[in-house]
Amino acid sequence: MKIIGENIHIISPKVKLAVKERDIKFFQNLAVKQVEAGADMLDLNIGPQKKMGHEIMPWLVKGVQEVVDVTLSLDTTNLSAIEAGLKVAKNQCIINSVSAEEARLAIVPPIAKKYNAKLIALTMGKGGIPVGSEERVNIALEKLIPMAMEIGLPMEDLLIDPLVLTVSGCQEYCPECVEAVRILKVAGDPPPMTNVGLSNVSSSVPHAMRPLINRVYCVMLMAAGVDYAIADPLDGDLKKFINIVNKRDDSTSLGKLVLALYDKTEAMDQLAADDVDMSDPEQVDIFKTAQILYNDIIYTDSYLRV
Amino acid sequence: MPAIQIPTQKWSGKVREVTLGATAADGGTRAKTVTVGGATTLPFLHFDGETPHAPVVAIEIQDRYPEDWSPILLEVWGDAAKDPASWAKAAEEKGADLIYLKFALNDDLSGDYARKIVRQVLDATGLPLIVFGPGQVEQDNDILVSVAEEGEGERLVLGVCEEKNYRTIVAAALAHGHLVDARTAMDVNLGKQLNILISDMGLPLDRIVMDPTTGALGYGMEYGYSVMERLRLAALQGDGMTQLPMLVTPGEETWRAKEARTDEGVPESWGDWTERAINWEVLTTSTLLESGADIVVLRHPESLKRVKGMINALMSH
Repeated sequence: MKIIGENIHIISPKVKLAVKERDIKFFQNLAVKQVEAGADMLDLNIGPQKKMGHEIMPWLVKGVQEVVDVTLSLDTTNLSAIEAGLKVAKNQCIINSVSAEEARLAIVPPIAKKYNAKLIALTMGKGGIPVGSEERVNIALEKLIPMAMEIGLPMEDLLIDPLVLTVSGCQEYCPECVEAVRILKVAGDPPPMTNVGLSNVSSSVPHAMRPLINRVYCVMLMAAGVDYAIADPLDGDLKKFINIVNKRDDSTSLGKLVLALYDKTEAMDQLAADDVDMSDPEQVDIFKTAQILYNDIIYTDSYLRV
Repeated sequence: MPAIQIPTQKWSGKVREVTLGATAADGGTRAKTVTVGGATTLPFLHFDGETPHAPVVAIEIQDRYPEDWSPILLEVWGDAAKDPASWAKAAEEKGADLIYLKFALNDDLSGDYARKIVRQVLDATGLPLIVFGPGQVEQDNDILVSVAEEGEGERLVLGVCEEKNYRTIVAAALAHGHLVDARTAMDVNLGKQLNILISDMGLPLDRIVMDPTTGALGYGMEYGYSVMERLRLAALQGDGMTQLPMLVTPGEETWRAKEARTDEGVPESWGDWTERAINWEVLTTSTLLESGADIVVLRHPESLKRVKGMINALMSH
């Protein structure tokens, strides 16, 4: 799984200010910091920028690629901003993103094809995001994959995103998204790539509790076969979990538990109480977090205390 | 005809048993107590598991004559509604399992006044009592602390206990041996969270009833239904902090709905007003019972009769 660093995002007041003041040093520092921490790629979310997007995106792309040599994900709904960014990019880029709405499907994918970019395609049509995994996969099968084939976009450049929603309020979507990834990875030969916005799973969760939920969900999504995750590379513990999975490192009790979570999810099973050392608070917290992500126990802001 | 095998589902969880009211043996003065909960399956699915206690019906009475109520209700309760003690007696005679005494919002509402009314009602009926303030944080705090003292040992249910004021009301329940009605606005996460907060204060879970709120038929009932269904499914799956009986107030919700409230300017095809209003209350209530309600609070005695009839029929097996 490749990590697309998420920290250049317009929702951050610092990012917003740096865009406004055209402070390229700020972005260069944040880019280097993320890549040094292990980000394979970087997302550049500038917001809609309806008026100035076509200037801001190429300015940002040029500035960032001066200091890092990674794939950039151009994240805005402003298509002319994306196209302007693609024109100045040195490496292959990712377009983030297109939904399954007809109007967007007609105009965004041809740009990806024209500039040899990868394209994140959301399993979301006019009717919003379906709960069930099968409905989400159907949007991919009926709309997104045929679109890519029609315009000749290779499957390795189509990143289907089944949409991670928050455990706080959309809890029933959490296990369904894992299943959607699993099904997508066996849909077609070759299957499409899959992408998730990992941190969305803990949106509107109290700040201190977010990283644990992100990490546990990341392991579950990896087990389902996800290829890309837009996530926080600066979360050292997230990297620790990913490394345990990648190296199958069972040398610690934490490693054993993370691998049990991974293996059981891969086998379409769930972590059980006897996988967990109940005398170790860290393990208990991971188990409780898995239970809310399975939608077995109702999420509350106090779920770790019960 | 071959015998039909009904597929069954075994749940790992169980709804807690909660007892309302206390007899002399347990430090109260009630003629009997009412126990709800204990189910190991969804409502009325006797082939799946146990439902040791049938859902129960409370009748709502108010501390003073509710002039804003529908004339249909005022007519059927007559003079009894002018005095809470007589009203409680009348409700008991009509077959209520519980009395739900609601204090209307009034400027001169005070702890002493609430204490006096609660005493009158406790003396007039042997049924367990649920006491609700007007649902305004300050007034609820003021009167419920006095009510808790006056009803010492009676295992009253005190409401409304919500996120904004639960500390005061839970403290009063702890000090005087009562239960609380934990109310949240149709939200599974917040509902469970309030149970956790209350139990963190030391009130045992068998002294909490969960009140997920509801809407009347046509006014959000289906949303309330989904929330209750989700909470009950979680309880049966073993989510400890949701394993509490649920109380809802379909009477209050129904009689606010246009269909029950008025006969002016409505199409003739809507039919007889009284029958329509009662149907609205009964249909709302019976639906909520199917989603897991353990205590329903009603207003009309005919609705009480019909809902009890439904419960009895569904419980006999």
